Amino acid sequence: MIQARNITKHYGDKVAVDDISFTVAAGKVTGFLGPNGAGKSTTMRMVVGLDRPTAGTVTVDGRRYAEHGSPLTEVGVLLEAKAVHTGRSAVDHLRAVAATHGFGRRRVEQVIDMTGLHSVAGKRVGGFSLGMGQRLGLAVALLGDPHTLILDEPVNGLDPEGVLWVRNLLRQLAAEGRTVFLSSHLMSEMALTADHILVIGRGRIIADAPVADIIARSSGTSVSVRTPEPGRLADLLRGPDVTVTPADDGRLEVRGTSAQVIGEAAASAGLVLHELAPHRGSLEDSYMSLTADAVEYHATGSPSTAPTTQTAPVPATRQAPDSKGTYR
Amino acid sequence: MSTVTPAPAPAAVARARAPHVTFPRVLHSEWIKFWSLRSTVWTVAATVLVMGAVSWLAVFFTAREATSPSTKPQDAAELTRLLHDPGLILTGTELAKLVVAVLGVLIITGEYSTGMIRSTLTAVPRRLPALWAKALVLFAVTTGTVVVAEVLSWLVAATTLHSHDAALDLGSAETQRILVGGVLFLAGIALLAFAVGAIIRVAAGALATVLGLLLVVEVLFRTLPVDFFRQVSPFLPATAGHQLLVTQSSIEQARTTTSAPVLDPWVGFTVMIAWVAVALVVAAVQLRRRDA
Repeated sequence: MIQARNITKHYGDKVAVDDISFTVAAGKVTGFLGPNGAGKSTTMRMVVGLDRPTAGTVTVDGRRYAEHGSPLTEVGVLLEAKAVHTGRSAVDHLRAVAATHGFGRRRVEQVIDMTGLHSVAGKRVGGFSLGMGQRLGLAVALLGDPHTLILDEPVNGLDPEGVLWVRNLLRQLAAEGRTVFLSSHLMSEMALTADHILVIGRGRIIADAPVADIIARSSGTSVSVRTPEPGRLADLLRGPDVTVTPADDGRLEVRGTSAQVIGEAAASAGLVLHELAPHRGSLEDSYMSLTADAVEYHATGSPSTAPTTQTAPVPATRQAPDSKGTYR
Repeated sequence: MSTVTPAPAPAAVARARAPHVTFPRVLHSEWIKFWSLRSTVWTVAATVLVMGAVSWLAVFFTAREATSPSTKPQDAAELTRLLHDPGLILTGTELAKLVVAVLGVLIITGEYSTGMIRSTLTAVPRRLPALWAKALVLFAVTTGTVVVAEVLSWLVAATTLHSHDAALDLGSAETQRILVGGVLFLAGIALLAFAVGAIIRVAAGALATVLGLLLVVEVLFRTLPVDFFRQVSPFLPATAGHQLLVTQSSIEQARTTTSAPVLDPWVGFTVMIAWVAVALVVAAVQLRRRDA
């Protein structure tokens, strides 16, 4: 379990992380999301003591990282793929890191096998591709068979097989009761891997909830209804939390209630329904609306890449085509 | 994944049994790191070759000139005196100090430039053991390398020296002091460079500082006829440490010709060690305080 209490980090005048508190629970995969420059990496670096918080404390299983006698069996860290001397071979790098804890050659061989590094283990890291560097970083993180894993963009540059392997591995480790904390910009991947989501924007936590709750908040979550009497149904459904919007093709888009409630309401009013289809929003939709105000580096070239206001309805075309949560 | 510990034992028990970070382990790690880079291996080899080659050149040409009929008698006397100076075979120290300085700087700045330092410090989050282990490995390797280099220097010079009745008297206390002095002097230079590298973190800046100190600052202080410089010069690290390689008679002679202080060998070495110690303490404080 990772516990951050009121941690703040200043770099000169710039406030990278602004008085945040959060808990990353054991037994779950917790995703850490946020725009570039929001403070994700800084936060992760503070957890393992590479950066010292300007204020506040952060502990892993009750102690500051540096106070653990066996840091690598406590926490496995992948902060950036190439935190490795480029002139050293992968196996020598692993041997050197393993030696600090007295892990033997066998453990080094095991993580090389696990991460599929066999063919390049003897080569110098300077010539590694992004994906191979990432595998080496994962091998180092797994070296101590740690209780907690902190991974910054672990699937960045991995091939599809590697992405699947990481996803299954992380889910398995969490199922064993370990703490898994990872950041990623790949929303669809995060939706598949994570149980819980922490969103950071401009150095503050802007959401901390289970994935399902985050997605449910999405403006993309709605129910599409088709009926011969749309006017009557709309009057029936409208309420303080429920909005009904007629779509071009005669359907109604209902937000703020469930398909079950709509179906029951229609039945009790004797209304005929031709279609009743729930649309689940994607994590990407939720993320975009959550961070709309917090994005620090907007791409100005194409205005369609980021919604400009938090309340803007999300057009259907923007739904993530590859999101498992989207039904069409 | 086959490696997951099935251990139903309570976490606390598992933790107590977990392999801890200990100083010998960190030392082992730094030892592996040192020898798994080509650049360090080459630097070690270069130190040995430079010292051997310069020793041979110095002894061979000194001997040739000393006995050449075209050399003036008073020059020949001076050259013969030089030939009997046990420090002659250590002439290469002047070049080797630059090589070990580069080695000292690179083993630490290389970690910062490549990002390796973050792997090092996450494995050893208390940080200082990593710094001391690295320093100790550097000291051990430099010491061992210079011992080998001195043996080579002696071997390549032995025949020439012998034929001029100037063979090294290994039983003499002064000769022993000078030979040990060569080792300690170069180890001290390597550690000083290492500390500067740890403080500055960037290879270019650290190299410029160390080589600037050794090749520019110390030389200027030694040669400029300004009283302040001449008074301070003997206390600069390399100048002070180098007294260990100077014979007592040369020191006495220097005292008769200059008004500036001339340090005794071990006093000079102590001054150098003080510089090294201060630099290492600054490096340690910086490492504890700064973000990696």
